[in-house]
Amino acid sequence: MKYMLMIYENEAVYDDGTGAAMGAIIEKHMAFGEEVGPAMLHGAGLQPVTTATTVRTDGGVQTLHDGPFAETREQLGGFYLVEAADLDAAIAIAKKIPLAANGAVEVRPVMAPPGM
Amino acid sequence: MSDPLDAVFRAASGRIIAGLAARFRSLDLAEEALAEACARAVTAWARDTPRDPAAWLYRVAERIALDRVRQAGVRAAARLPEPESDPTPEQLMLDARPIPDERLALIFTCCHPAIHPEARAALTLRLVCGLSTEEIARAFLSAEPTIAQRLVRAKRKIAGAGIGFDVPGPDGWADRLDAVLTTLDIAYAHAHADGAGSGRHADYAREMLGITATLALMLPHEPEVLALAATVRFAEARRPARVNADGVMVPLSEQDPARWDTALIAEGRHYLAAAARIGPYRPRVVAALIHAEWCARGSLSEPPPWRNILTIYDALLSVRDDAITRLNRAVALAEVAGYEAALEEVDALDLPGLAHFLPYHAVRAGLLYRLGLNEAARAAYDSALALGPGDAERKWLERRRAEVS
Repeated sequence: MKYMLMIYENEAVYDDGTGAAMGAIIEKHMAFGEEVGPAMLHGAGLQPVTTATTVRTDGGVQTLHDGPFAETREQLGGFYLVEAADLDAAIAIAKKIPLAANGAVEVRPVMAPPGM
Repeated sequence: MSDPLDAVFRAASGRIIAGLAARFRSLDLAEEALAEACARAVTAWARDTPRDPAAWLYRVAERIALDRVRQAGVRAAARLPEPESDPTPEQLMLDARPIPDERLALIFTCCHPAIHPEARAALTLRLVCGLSTEEIARAFLSAEPTIAQRLVRAKRKIAGAGIGFDVPGPDGWADRLDAVLTTLDIAYAHAHADGAGSGRHADYAREMLGITATLALMLPHEPEVLALAATVRFAEARRPARVNADGVMVPLSEQDPARWDTALIAEGRHYLAAAARIGPYRPRVVAALIHAEWCARGSLSEPPPWRNILTIYDALLSVRDDAITRLNRAVALAEVAGYEAALEEVDALDLPGLAHFLPYHAVRAGLLYRLGLNEAARAAYDSALALGPGDAERKWLERRRAEVS
């Protein structure tokens, strides 16, 4: 099965003015990717939430908003797509995802294409 | 379902579902295949009963599941065996090969932390112990549609999120053990409530001996696992004395210790001693001490050990303070401190759903009667009886009610 691992963190922890914190976490993510190996299908970090734009559809009317779809302290900051035998295997990978401080990783199975 | 089929289903459905789920990696497929096998049994068993009806159900359900998997072409998801020819109906009738026991794996699946806590025990009782939604609702003091909805959601989560059918590795234990223990507590309490032991849960009450022994073997350093194994043994040891010749329940303090199973008590003490060495103050270990204290009674001529029982309940309250513990403690308190003090305790209990909890009314009725509050005692016995007790307990409650003049 394929699982999406969505990383939620308070991105302020990376905002140290020097880029050192960001550099350090990127290094950890590289090591994490190597450790997971071929089970890792895809992954990426996202630009800060200040760059987010939300397209909302309400009653057929679409409007644009500056910012993420929900204002919370912890925001989606990156994701991985992994191949895992079952939920436990996916959770084991999720537990290894490096975080700078507090945070959460949501583990969601990806729908299989029809006929699979 | 016909009667023999009903009995086999109750005794073996957990093992069959677990075996099929572990093999085909799908709970839905396991349940559907077993349902279809039961439907076929109605016709197939009309003339002749198989030598081992449970094995028949398992083999037929296995074939049904295999056919479905092949039709769907999802070989990758299942552990398909080497192709073998379909057994003939005659072979099936004689088949007595044991069903592989995957119940422990199924218990861990049902108790996965990714499943809502309130759904775990319900799911285990449904799948591993074969209880109906109605029986689970009664055990949980909940409405039947609530339980039904919980079961549906939990099964969807298992299938949708890809929760596996394996006993977790050592690093997965800690997370999942408490959920498993709580689930087994509830499952056993439900089986134990059937005093006569001849009812629909008699078989899985005995099976709890096996399940807890397996858990204790796998986790010999977990005091609460050992304590649960001890409690189940102490309680099962007393089963022969729990009902008299007229089929009436005998309360613990009136049971003849000569009728208790001394071998099971010895096993229980062995587990409890190991548990107490590691974690003497863990709630399940203290709770098992209460059972051990009762089982130490040598004969009916010895006075019941109420004072010691109350002391252990006080210790239990310091590590597990809940309404059920307080209710049980009140029974001992009544004998040591008097009925009035005990009634005060019981009337101060606060738990949603307590009104649907049979022991609450039974304990209250006994106290009211002893205090000469006959009208209130009768009403409390009626409340208890209205909750549909098992046969032995119903007869006991009816006799007690009749004594209230």
